[in-house]
Amino acid sequence: MEEPVDTATAILASAAVLLRERTFDDISYRALADEVGISERTIYRQYPTRAHLLAALSNWIEQTRFPLPPFVTVSDFRAAVHERFRAFDASPAYAYVGARASAISPTLDTEPAHITRAIEAMLDVAAPTLNRRDRRRVAAALRYFSSAMFWARLRTGFDLDADEICDAFDRAVDTVLTRVPETTRAEP
Amino acid sequence: MSESVAVPSLSGTQEAILAAYAELIEELGSDDVSYRVIARRAGIAERTVFRNYPTRVDLLLATSAWIEATLFAREESHSIFDLPLAIREAMQRYDERPELAHVVAETAMRGVNGAAPSPGRAQLERLLDAEVPSLDPAQRRAVVAALSHLDSVGTWVTFRREFGMDRRDIADAAAWAAEAVLDRLRDRTTPA
Repeated sequence: MEEPVDTATAILASAAVLLRERTFDDISYRALADEVGISERTIYRQYPTRAHLLAALSNWIEQTRFPLPPFVTVSDFRAAVHERFRAFDASPAYAYVGARASAISPTLDTEPAHITRAIEAMLDVAAPTLNRRDRRRVAAALRYFSSAMFWARLRTGFDLDADEICDAFDRAVDTVLTRVPETTRAEP
Repeated sequence: MSESVAVPSLSGTQEAILAAYAELIEELGSDDVSYRVIARRAGIAERTVFRNYPTRVDLLLATSAWIEATLFAREESHSIFDLPLAIREAMQRYDERPELAHVVAETAMRGVNGAAPSPGRAQLERLLDAEVPSLDPAQRRAVVAALSHLDSVGTWVTFRREFGMDRRDIADAAAWAAEAVLDRLRDRTTPA
């Protein structure tokens, strides 16, 4: 046997392997237990409900498969999101898990995603004197257009590929940023 | 009342099942509801639930469609420029039924095993084509994609979870973003 990694991570790694051949709904705790080589009860102890498993799996996939490139400027932000959408397109099963997990009723007190804080920080630099209400509205809109949900909706509902999704994203970002008054923007 | 989402016609039994499940989701959350409990609430045999909805995915998809078409039903907009108002009202309705809103949002994000993620798309395209016919295909696609994304329960989920917004702020921010998309089209409408 290899050195045992921690059980929670071993369960998530095995679930990710199973995702290559079946959907999340078709991964039973029984099959997952067999794959990891532990008892079903151990999985229930780690993840009491499937919602807990889904949320943890999504976090783990996010960190290992879709790390967010750092960004400070708006153009870096666009590039980072393009890179993510392309990565989603290359591993759709993983990306759907992320989209789905971000829609479920939270299982724990969840922290806002890292990208949310990064977008807020970017706006603080790009438009330092923007009023609080507009800054929050701009950040929320940018966050939502850069989400796995946007990718999933455009791929499934509109049949678009990564390039077309990036194009729709860029146009959405433009319309939102048009609302940021010139006077609040940082000197170039 | 006109509905933007087509509901497949349901039998009385199916309606009773879906309504019972929706009630139980609000009381218990979507994870812990067994077919037995749903059957008891609907006043029918467990076997009947299985006959109508053989798998949990079948049941969930049907329930989600039923919730959208009944509890979250809305008046049809007559102009694309009415959309911000419709979005504002929709966000407030989602906020009144948070558990159901999460179920609808999650069901739409399941990929091939999910509900249609943009059920109002055809109507948006119709309104846009009638009022702003001069868009090139890429612009048209981007506008419809952005509006259909904003006019969905995912907006409520994201703004609430990621920004801790309350009902009023979610409705405001969602309508504001839709206005931002529409503002670029205002000078391109057909002359009356």
